Amino acid sequence: MTDTTHGTQRTAPAASGNDYVLEIDDLHTHFFTNEGVVKAVDGVSMKLQRGKTLAVVGESGCGKSITARSILQIVDKPGRIVSGSIKLHRSGREGRSAGTIDLAALDPKSKVLRDVRGKDISMIFQEPMTSLSPVHRIGNQIREAVLTHFDVSKEEAHERAVESLRLVGIPRPDRQVDRYPFQLSGGMRQRAMIAMALVGRPDILIADEPTTALDVTTQAQILDLIRELQSELGMSLIMITHDLGVVAEMADDVAVMYLGTVAEEGTVDQIFHEPRHPYTRALLRSVPRVGEHERSKRLYTIAGSVPNPYSRPTGCPYSTRCDFYMDGLCNKVVPPPIAFDETHKARCLLYTNAGVQYMERERQEKGVTA
Amino acid sequence: MSTAHVTSSPEVAPILKIRDLKMYFPVKKGAFSRERGEVKAVDGVSFDIIQGETLGLVGESGCGKTTIGRSIMRVYNPTSGTMEYRSGSGSAVDLAKVQGKDLKGVRKEIRMVFQDPHASLNPRMTLRDIIAEPLRAYGRDKGSSLNDQIASLLKRVGLRPEYMRRYPHAFSGGERQRVGIARALATNPRLLVADEPVSALDVSVRAQIINLLRDLQGELGLTYLFISHDLSVVEHICDRVAVMYLGRIVELAETSRIFASPKMPYTESLLSAVPIADPRQRGSKTRIMLQGELPDPANPPAGCPFHTRCRYAQDVCSEVRPELREVEPGHWAACHFSDELELQGAASLHETSSPLSPRDQRTITQDQTPI
Repeated sequence: MTDTTHGTQRTAPAASGNDYVLEIDDLHTHFFTNEGVVKAVDGVSMKLQRGKTLAVVGESGCGKSITARSILQIVDKPGRIVSGSIKLHRSGREGRSAGTIDLAALDPKSKVLRDVRGKDISMIFQEPMTSLSPVHRIGNQIREAVLTHFDVSKEEAHERAVESLRLVGIPRPDRQVDRYPFQLSGGMRQRAMIAMALVGRPDILIADEPTTALDVTTQAQILDLIRELQSELGMSLIMITHDLGVVAEMADDVAVMYLGTVAEEGTVDQIFHEPRHPYTRALLRSVPRVGEHERSKRLYTIAGSVPNPYSRPTGCPYSTRCDFYMDGLCNKVVPPPIAFDETHKARCLLYTNAGVQYMERERQEKGVTA
Repeated sequence: MSTAHVTSSPEVAPILKIRDLKMYFPVKKGAFSRERGEVKAVDGVSFDIIQGETLGLVGESGCGKTTIGRSIMRVYNPTSGTMEYRSGSGSAVDLAKVQGKDLKGVRKEIRMVFQDPHASLNPRMTLRDIIAEPLRAYGRDKGSSLNDQIASLLKRVGLRPEYMRRYPHAFSGGERQRVGIARALATNPRLLVADEPVSALDVSVRAQIINLLRDLQGELGLTYLFISHDLSVVEHICDRVAVMYLGRIVELAETSRIFASPKMPYTESLLSAVPIADPRQRGSKTRIMLQGELPDPANPPAGCPFHTRCRYAQDVCSEVRPELREVEPGHWAACHFSDELELQGAASLHETSSPLSPRDQRTITQDQTPI
């Protein structure tokens, strides 16, 4: 692959200084249900560079949302963080707290964590109608966020709310501030939720499928808005999505998740142009793309569906659906992360010594029978 | 309103001819629920569905695409217009007026596949009951053959016949959608109205269902009306595409033509809004950002309904409504300036092919394997 085609200013090579704002290390979040333990997040590690965008991709049930919720410790019961660390490196800008804290070690109800939520890290959700309170005015809801985090008067809080609505491009914010969520359209509601998330000027914004419920035209507007705000406010962004198109447009780094583990991680260019993990390759091939009208061609499909979370496969979680399944290996050994370079890692046994030997053996056997 | 024949060529027989279909919903307000105007969900739509084709119906939410599907199923009684359906026996039926026994007869031949496989299957019924219900309704459940029929339907959609005794909750979204398709196929339909059939599914499962729908079409000679907002899926599966905006069809043509050279600015902006799944093409295209929002369908703008958001709008656009006209043979568009505008299609957005080269797609290369 040629490196000269590396896209735009936003995909510039990662700073060698490794300025991370958030580091998740070996996170385990489990759900203790009557039917058994669901390991929704099972040893996830990822890093978010300051000012950059990390996209977390995967199908439903892969643990991407639970990973995001673990960061803020808003995982619903009976789920909880079992082990691992989530290190937040606070900037200390504008007289805020500085230093590094481990969010996973904090009590979900502690004052420190409540301070982190909305001020250091904010989150926006998929369906704005269910995330906004239907019985409070938009302005009230934003004001509440201001008053929680900042020692300001009600008038000042109101002004900040209006300012925040203006920032996200809501027309006539001084009037919209008094409206209820149901009076706004889907796109405007999503903007209002972003306004609420940004009013505390957070260092990190977590966007959980922010455009899934929206039309393509509105999606384009919202993605554009998020991008603009990010460069304007210097935020770092975690983008959770299942839409590879959105990833390609937004991300600097990508983590592909499957059944609670990170199958592959790398820069956006590595993931799309040099995918290593069979799952990443399969995902990329199974989406139809606009502009490639090939009706005669069948779509590539991944066999079966995501396994039941109560009965995870032994060995590699993807082994039951993999095209390159190696019997006796993939169903026995949990693949370790294998680094291809500084940024690119995949958990796949094909790239281990054992895997290479297995494939070599198979090739020879095939040669003999032929 | 013109009664133009919106077909691709005159010699192919349409299975369904829709002419000037209108579906208005009353808006009720006040203490006595008096009617205060109406929402024109579908406002004078004409098109043909040709036997054996897949016609795509695309547009933003609220454009009326689902209402058309439901009007065909006669979930609603249309306000006016005709829907001439050529039934299997060769007789013509107006779906807009048909009642009672005749309606039941037609509903056997036109079936629907729904969006949400979790909501469209009764959780208290086994797969056997779910699929047997339409068979019972048409008295085809006599004798011991019922189980055989259900088994073969399940096999047809790629499920194991043993699953018959299980309940929907035991299945994943993709499997449930297969059950929904099996139920639709139970009465040997000729036309399937598929309303966002893959929108609720995961990427990997979506591809399976799309392939299944295409296989079934080939095997059974089905005709599809495929309602979707996902342009990449529509491009993949549809022969022709109709683009809707505010209750009207604004463009209709063969899929490859509509994607390559749209003739209506709204289609252009829809195509341009689709994210490209290739980071190297980021910023390579000029995205046409639609300003503002879909106007209120209860109070649509005068003239061309799209003029409030159109970047090519002239004075005439706010005064005269452009009719849907044939700008090229088989290519219909409702725009005053279709002949003058050079609109960009999806093809010009993708000079390079998919990120994975064919070699990558077949094999995993083990070079550079770190030891």
